[in-house]
Amino acid sequence: MSNIDLLGRRKFIAGLGIAAGAAMVAPAMAVSEKADGVKWDKEVEIVIIGSGFAGLAAAIEATRKGAKDIHMFEKMSYFGGNSAINGGLFAAPGTPMQKTEGVKDSVDRMVNDQLASGRGVADEGLLRHVASHAVEALQMTLDAGSEFHPYLQQLGGHSVARTYQTTVSCGAGITQPLFKECKRIGVNTHNRSKFEGFLVGAKGEVVGVKMRTNYHFGEDQPGKVLNIRAKRGVIMATGGFAQNVDLRMAQDPTLTADVGCTNAPGATGEGMYEMFRLGAIPTHLAYIQSGPWASPDEGGFGYVSNYSIFNLPHSMAVSRTTGKRFMNEIADRKTRADAELENRDEKGNPVPPLLITSFKDSKAHPNTEKVIKYNVGWKFDSVEELATHFGVPLAGLKAQIAEYNGYVKTGEDKQFGKNMTKAAGKYIEAPFTVVRLWPKVHYCQGGVKVNTKAEVADSFTGKSIPGLYAAGEVCGGIHGVSRLGSCSIPECMVMGMTAARSLMKV
Amino acid sequence: MKNFNIILGLVLLGLTSLSVQSAEIRDYHKDVIGNDCKTCHDNGIKQFPSDESCLQCHDVDDLAKQTARSEEDKWQNPHNNLHYGKEVPCQECHGEHTPKEPLCSNCHTFKFDKHKG
Ligand SMILES: Cc1cc2nc3c(=O)[nH]c(=O)nc-3n(C[C@H](O)[C@H](O)[C@H](O)COP(=O)(O)OP(=O)(O)OC[C@H]3O[C@@H](n4cnc5c(N)ncnc54)[C@H](O)[C@@H]3O)c2cc1C
Repeated sequence: MSNIDLLGRRKFIAGLGIAAGAAMVAPAMAVSEKADGVKWDKEVEIVIIGSGFAGLAAAIEATRKGAKDIHMFEKMSYFGGNSAINGGLFAAPGTPMQKTEGVKDSVDRMVNDQLASGRGVADEGLLRHVASHAVEALQMTLDAGSEFHPYLQQLGGHSVARTYQTTVSCGAGITQPLFKECKRIGVNTHNRSKFEGFLVGAKGEVVGVKMRTNYHFGEDQPGKVLNIRAKRGVIMATGGFAQNVDLRMAQDPTLTADVGCTNAPGATGEGMYEMFRLGAIPTHLAYIQSGPWASPDEGGFGYVSNYSIFNLPHSMAVSRTTGKRFMNEIADRKTRADAELENRDEKGNPVPPLLITSFKDSKAHPNTEKVIKYNVGWKFDSVEELATHFGVPLAGLKAQIAEYNGYVKTGEDKQFGKNMTKAAGKYIEAPFTVVRLWPKVHYCQGGVKVNTKAEVADSFTGKSIPGLYAAGEVCGGIHGVSRLGSCSIPECMVMGMTAARSLMKV
Repeated sequence: MKNFNIILGLVLLGLTSLSVQSAEIRDYHKDVIGNDCKTCHDNGIKQFPSDESCLQCHDVDDLAKQTARSEEDKWQNPHNNLHYGKEVPCQECHGEHTPKEPLCSNCHTFKFDKHKG
């Protein structure tokens, strides 16, 4: 069907898992220890570990609050982590574009949508803190030069359209300007620098870190460990652990190396581990989210993910064996990923479902051309052609299209109760664009427990660990069972800014 | 003394074959590298070269010009790409002794026909 080497891709992904595993158990792995009598190689004002949204926002905000000597460390050779390959979708309530488009929204409304998707275990206080400051974070990206599409999107699980997206449809439209801003204001950035442990003072406070320099990810080169003193404190912004196959399987055995992953290779979680060793509270580690808009025809996030996120509200997802719909195309992620995974043949082998969109509506998204050009999506002139290509029963598919178009007309989806607002007037008609859907491991809701000051709670004392702050995906509990799309950028940036504010007050 | 010479001989042989191997991937490196590993291995022979090492001879802006793509695909330029701009260290996609995959192939199916690893 497609000429893509899926097996080669899978081997590559499996290989990554092994490399990540090996990197974790490197023989010279340092751990946290008492700072007593340690010889300091370097003394700096603020240490930030990780260079994604959380780390970058923390560095800029700390500078605004007067910090002079900030050092950001990144273990990979390149900066940006998951944030640099992210989809560039940014949710905030009460934005200027919502006013222009006449969308009624509020902090409460956004929090309520998130609480519903979090299925009762999300942290309302943290969600409220993030939603209340999301517009400030959006402003920080604008100040640094980020540009956004001139329209809002309504993503799965959101009750209104509140999502901005960068014009390049990628988080790099934010990380690149923020990184340049960091350089401009004099933040010291260090690549190939791997955090390996904390140095702890007499009262259990974090006073510094052990940093392996000249580190080459996945390669056998020892590098050298430096003891770096952080006068004001340490901000951990090391991201999630979706690429650590051992750890994710310990939580959910179905997430083997065979399951794809959208994350950057550096998302291996050792920063989080080290905070647990220090006493941080592990929260919601088992809630690992798969993206229901990914494609089995390319690696990682690729081109299809953003294509489908944009198109799902006015598209029809059907099973290949029946031609029938099987889910609300804009339900929250877990609902959709679970529904997609049920698409299998009698032997239990995956039969990825199809996302069908009218070409005229799909092409409003810049990725549509690329999806077709790079053979990860297809264009068909008739429903017959489409059905033959994928072996879908023609009668079933035709009946489903007619039924669905009825819902487009009435605005009421009697099959799955989908909100049809964004589908208004967008009938499923030839020519069609089609991609295949299959979930990929995407986001770790779990991590260390933090409060609204980005302080890390200690499991034994219940108090915050002095000198230690955490922000971004490395933190857990905020979203609960399932995170809503476009809610991580505001979280990472707001909590990064919060960590900087807290640390500059001490 | 004799033993020492044998060991030294073996070490030199090893190094020579490594550098031959490296020059095979990119024959235009032959003249520059010769048998002097230190040309690239500025951090010491047993260490990977620094990220600046290749930049002794190569200029990122020139490379970006050489690999420029059409307006529509302009962000697929490996030396000036959407995600990391011009900031990806050479060794991420290029290895002199062991060929490497382009970083982009983690997520994308587009081809770099002239990429030699
Ligand atoms: C493909 C993709 C698309 C996404 N799209 C969206 C979207 O459109 N909207 C949205 O809201 N969310 C999205 N998400 C989720 C969001 O991008 C992430 O949750 C977010 O980028 C995490 O940011 P962060 O700063 O916490 O971590 P990251 O950006 O992952 O940065 C962490 C950095 O820390 C480094 N690091 C890790 N361990 C160490 C160590 N020991 N020493 C030194 N450095 C270390 C890593 O290499 C990494 O560079 C997406 C995620 C992915 C993977």
